[in-house]
Amino acid sequence: MLKFLRRFIKNFKEYILLVILSVLSLSILASNDKPQAKRLKAFAFGSFSVLNEFATSLTSVFRKDDSFASLKEENARLMLEVNRMRKAAFENNKLRTMIAFRDTCEYPLIPANVVSKLITKTQGNYIINRGANDQVQRGMPVISQVGLIGIVTDVAGNYSAVKTLNNGNLSIAVTIQKMNVDGILNFDGSNLVIKNVPATFDVQVGDRIITSEFSTLFPPSVPIGTIRKKESNVYGLLLNLYVEPFADIAGADNLFILKVIPSKEINQLDMNLMK
Amino acid sequence: MTRMLLNYVKPFFFFIPLAVLQLVVVPLIAIDSITPNLVFLLVVYYTIREGQIFGTILGFITGFLFDLFSSGLLGSSMFAFTISAFIAGYFYSENKMDINLNTYFFLVIVFLSAIVSSFIYSAINASGSGIGFLFLLVEGALLPSFYTTLFGVPIVVFSSKKEIL
Repeated sequence: MLKFLRRFIKNFKEYILLVILSVLSLSILASNDKPQAKRLKAFAFGSFSVLNEFATSLTSVFRKDDSFASLKEENARLMLEVNRMRKAAFENNKLRTMIAFRDTCEYPLIPANVVSKLITKTQGNYIINRGANDQVQRGMPVISQVGLIGIVTDVAGNYSAVKTLNNGNLSIAVTIQKMNVDGILNFDGSNLVIKNVPATFDVQVGDRIITSEFSTLFPPSVPIGTIRKKESNVYGLLLNLYVEPFADIAGADNLFILKVIPSKEINQLDMNLMK
Repeated sequence: MTRMLLNYVKPFFFFIPLAVLQLVVVPLIAIDSITPNLVFLLVVYYTIREGQIFGTILGFITGFLFDLFSSGLLGSSMFAFTISAFIAGYFYSENKMDINLNTYFFLVIVFLSAIVSSFIYSAINASGSGIGFLFLLVEGALLPSFYTTLFGVPIVVFSSKKEIL
């Protein structure tokens, strides 16, 4: 028996090894959400990003001075402000009596630079040079000076991982600003798409898309993009809307983290409703 | 003995700079989010040089480290590299190593194994997102594999020149 076993292992050692390593890989894959795996990941990318940051600084041919960075930060603040005002104007026209109801709090911004990028057709992840030491937390939205980029998924001491909009597994509750129609935005590998919007709504190409008040991931009114194309499906009853993001997601380098986490946002909304 | 040990450790020394290049420089040359995989090239190269078992273990370890360093889905590169290195290992032959490494046949091996690797990686990452099979096959596997294969050309050219010298 022992001889047979020894011969079996000798003859099929490659296959046995493959099976063992595959099972190990799959079990690690299944334990991605476990806190131990997250801690290990945060420690690993936090340490390795030091090298990436050094390499990034070498590849940055056009060095940005401080005034440029502060102007970009100011631009991002103004973008959020303009968007809030635009939304307020829409609401003012529709619901004059409720104008004081809106949450008008400002979000503090944490400027950050992209240290490394993992880009494929199915996932887009960045590592940025701000982490827990800069009070970054999991769930904080990440924007550029023109629009939404993604969300912080893991945080190490000085670095954070960001899941971008170009990620098949990120679904965002959005609103078509002009008509206040809600939908779910997804990445289909090539485009950002809002699927199954009733064709009865008069949606036009060029309409602005912002994060919805119902979003559990993002604060409301963060600009995302505009409708680039609409396509009808199911006998013309429903529409698929293709969204052109405001931000250059693949080419982003200077980003801002909105220092707000959704639960606090929801809490504030709840408090507003109780007024 | 020391030399043999060095041969086994060598790929891990190359892994660090290649992973940095993959995460910092490669995004700059991405064509519509299609990127070559330099770390995978390393895995295939050493699989053909050192054999199937070594390659499979190398794929497993480098995949795991790459998942950790890139903040990607833990286990996705690991599984993809393990399977594809095992497949690339079928082309290992001590007698034909020169042909497999120094001729353009190396690119065929890279292309075939890269298709498997990219497809597995894309399929794992796209699970639950509703992305179709054809998209995964063409844009998730074929095109990145072709791009990765292009980066294998310098290896062949360099190896064959070294051989002549």
